[in-house]
Amino acid sequence: MKVILIVVQIMLLYAIYLVGSYVQAWLNLPIPGSIIGLLLLFVLLLCRVIPVSWIEKGSTTILFYLPLFFIPATVGVMNHLDLFAGKGLLLVVVVIVSTILTIAVAGHVSQWLAGRPGAHTAEKKVLSQGQPGASRNSVQYREKETRV
Amino acid sequence: MNIMLSAGIVVSTVFIYVVMAMIYKKFRLPVLMPALTGTAIIVIVLINLNIPYSTYMKGGQWINQLLGPAVVALAYPLYKQRHQLLKNWLPIVGGSLAGVFAGMLSGMLLALALGFSKPFILSIVPKSVTTPVAIQIVNHLGADSSLTSVFVMIAGFTGAVCGVYLLRLFRIHHVIGSGIALGSSSHALGTAKALEIGEQASSMSSIAMTISAIVASFIAPVVVWIVFH
Repeated sequence: MKVILIVVQIMLLYAIYLVGSYVQAWLNLPIPGSIIGLLLLFVLLLCRVIPVSWIEKGSTTILFYLPLFFIPATVGVMNHLDLFAGKGLLLVVVVIVSTILTIAVAGHVSQWLAGRPGAHTAEKKVLSQGQPGASRNSVQYREKETRV
Repeated sequence: MNIMLSAGIVVSTVFIYVVMAMIYKKFRLPVLMPALTGTAIIVIVLINLNIPYSTYMKGGQWINQLLGPAVVALAYPLYKQRHQLLKNWLPIVGGSLAGVFAGMLSGMLLALALGFSKPFILSIVPKSVTTPVAIQIVNHLGADSSLTSVFVMIAGFTGAVCGVYLLRLFRIHHVIGSGIALGSSSHALGTAKALEIGEQASSMSSIAMTISAIVASFIAPVVVWIVFH
């Protein structure tokens, strides 16, 4: 029974993805249909058009197996292995340097916008408020670790 | 025959993934992440058996199909964190936006300066974005998504391995700032690392990961257009 529920919910997610792709093609947008679907589902949840219970189990399941779904696309790297033996290594350096820059810029801008003081008090408040929920949250984040 | 082949590929990919996920669960080392080890094993098997990627994709495309609904499902964790998002929307959206711009521009310009051709530069554009979205962004840009997957993993590892040290180096002390920096630069791997700083940093990081993915898919075509004009 639980499996059927999960499958039906994933089919609903798939339908929303198809709507997103249709909107993308129809308006000729440069944004992936899946992102349009994500925004659509988010708005529908906020407006309570779709109750959370309709997608909760399906979303949790599909996100738990997320890394599996991008393995086939990643395997395509086998056609480019020679690249990483030569000049492609420079691209690896570019990615690392650019990631370091991203951390610096995103961190500083958001720290500046958040206002500098109160960082540690905010942290403590959240931790002491959510003792019972804290362990559940950390389990949830540990699940996310498998994603990339 | 073709259906048998496809089914066999799907079953073996799922099997390899499940085994690798079990190994990762036991040791919890970033290098053992199933996306990484699973891909490596499949690549090694295919090369040794002389099976071309196009043959593998006859089955692989069925798994690939689930990327779309999986991205849609990201709306659920975002919805669950809507109160955090609303309360701190300015540092979250502002920081993610700045991170996306910095990541895309620096990646593209560095690759351009080193003399790489357009397909490589395009595949580096969404490297800070979580893989499922990065693949879809790069497909839209018309470049090779398999290279992007590798770049996304490298970006993730950079944040996971040196993230905390870098935050200290750049004097980013604020919990929100730390979370946004890790989430918008190193997606889920950064988010896992942010948990070491604290619950709030981790939650900020996971929001930043989703917001950055959304923002990046809007901005990528614009940035590409600016750089190549």
